[in-house]
Amino acid sequence: MSDVLMSALPRARRNARPEARQARAGAILVSPAVILLIVILILPVAVAFVLSFSDYTLGRDTLEWVGFENYADIFTRSSYRKMIVATVLYVVITVPISVGLGLGAALLIRSLKVGQNLYKTVYFLPVMASLLAMAIVWEFALHPTLGIVNRTLALGCGSSLELWPWYARSCAEGFPLWLGDRDYALWTLAFIGIWQSFGFNMVLYLAGLTSVPRDLYGAAEMDGVRAPWERFRLITWPMLGPTTVFVVTITMIRSFQVFDTVEALTHGGPAKSTYVMIYAIYEKGIAQNLVGLGAAITMLFLGFVMLISVAQRRFVERKVHYQ
Amino acid sequence: MTHHRFSSRQTLAHLVLIFGAVIVLLPFYVMLTTSFKSSVGIASGTGGLFGAQELVLDQSCVNLGGSEQDCLTRPLIDNYHQAFTAAPLWRYLLNGVIVTASIFVLQTLIAVPAAYALAKLRFWGRDAAFGLVLFCLLIPVHAIALPLYLMLAKLGLTNSYAALILPWIVSAFGIFLMRQFFMTVPDDLIDAARMDGMGEFAIIWRVMLPTAIPALLAFAIFSVVAHWNDYFWPRIVLTGDRNLFTPPLGLREFKGDLDGDFYGPMMATATVIVTPLVVAFLLAQRRFIDGITLTGMK
Repeated sequence: MSDVLMSALPRARRNARPEARQARAGAILVSPAVILLIVILILPVAVAFVLSFSDYTLGRDTLEWVGFENYADIFTRSSYRKMIVATVLYVVITVPISVGLGLGAALLIRSLKVGQNLYKTVYFLPVMASLLAMAIVWEFALHPTLGIVNRTLALGCGSSLELWPWYARSCAEGFPLWLGDRDYALWTLAFIGIWQSFGFNMVLYLAGLTSVPRDLYGAAEMDGVRAPWERFRLITWPMLGPTTVFVVTITMIRSFQVFDTVEALTHGGPAKSTYVMIYAIYEKGIAQNLVGLGAAITMLFLGFVMLISVAQRRFVERKVHYQ
Repeated sequence: MTHHRFSSRQTLAHLVLIFGAVIVLLPFYVMLTTSFKSSVGIASGTGGLFGAQELVLDQSCVNLGGSEQDCLTRPLIDNYHQAFTAAPLWRYLLNGVIVTASIFVLQTLIAVPAAYALAKLRFWGRDAAFGLVLFCLLIPVHAIALPLYLMLAKLGLTNSYAALILPWIVSAFGIFLMRQFFMTVPDDLIDAARMDGMGEFAIIWRVMLPTAIPALLAFAIFSVVAHWNDYFWPRIVLTGDRNLFTPPLGLREFKGDLDGDFYGPMMATATVIVTPLVVAFLLAQRRFIDGITLTGMK
């Protein structure tokens, strides 16, 4: 916009010399950032791309080109298939619940007459706290014998809760080990991820809700739309379209990057059930120094992330609201 | 009757939200109460929030040759004392401050001039430079950790402050955010400054930056929260040297040699690490929430 203004209003003092000076100043001011962006973000992508076709390991001077062998490994070996399954499953569990709870909390809080700020503060606390620290606390809370979760669940034994078959079985045979059980571990990590992230989504939705014009609800009421669910379906949800696209994208990209809880609590186990991609990159590429393989997983990961971003842009271009 | 229905709906909303709040606060409660208790109190799960605070023996004091009489202490004091003595926790906290502050200062020094140039100056390659910034927004630094680590290792920089700081000094997001903000500053302000004989550098720091304080503050909150809590990157580039550990790494090391007796001091360490940001948040909630939402896209 400022460009248009500048060319549309040629000013006397903007003669050739200051313009040349401005061009030089601009190039000088922007060059540190440009150089660093290239060295720190673009170059590594290129490095990962090149090394993904090699068997490079750190500390050895030679390397051999292996073609698509690393990629073939990823798509054929069962442990990497499990990696992709675990990553996708984690994202598929976490994103809808985290977004849904964020929206639900925002709607409930907006409907309150008192206490809005209190709930907002409480729900936002996990976003502030170090995820690693809180993961370690959750691990302790979920400890099979010492933890508060199983202790509390055990209090319900003998009550009508036992009508729930899962509960009755757990009372008889013991409550789950959570992080130590391959059937529960990924869900438990997803639970921690949801616990940590939904307050963030709530805040974004609260911001989105304030921008829904009030008079739309009045107009709808005149048209006979009175039930809360109808109001939500016809006005609130469509108007929140852009917010939802944004929230879903962020939550997806973040849950693809889950690492802290995996590294600290499960190391990808049990039985690779929580072996997510970033952890695999860390374990293969760095801890085990299988750089070629790690680089191939890195490229696959970047592919996923780019795909999400491109999908988001598509959505936004299709003008998410009023459709 | 309408009134009655309305208030029962309000009550229901409160009940649901209180249930959510209990689950959200549960780990904070567990963390605090465990950090207050002796290993006996932890194992039995009794004592309420503060534990029984029965006298316990301070092992480090006994090891130093103190008599049992002198070495009796309360679990709360013992846990926090151990947190700071069993590991160099002060050092970790200092490292956390050094790393987060350096990252933010360098990010600002690099992003603000670039953002100003992209928003207000006309020069060859400007559109390409902005395109580069937009493209880099799509690359999460965590995703390219492996090649970055290799580059640092080749330069012999792993296990150093440089390794902790360098990959973060250019923030595509910071440049983008500040550029959007600078676009809204009227050109007349800059022209007037130029008429006064100000150079471009003086304009950036003395004219532009003061107008962009809200954006810069939002970015500061975003940057500090992200890097104080970051565990992934320090984990990768620090392999041995404890003196460089940031707070999350220090806590993780504590967990490494876990047995029943260590839960108390470990939770005390966790409390110490989590407290600064939580307290800052409680003191300036509006700013934090606005800052984090404004900078939501990472």
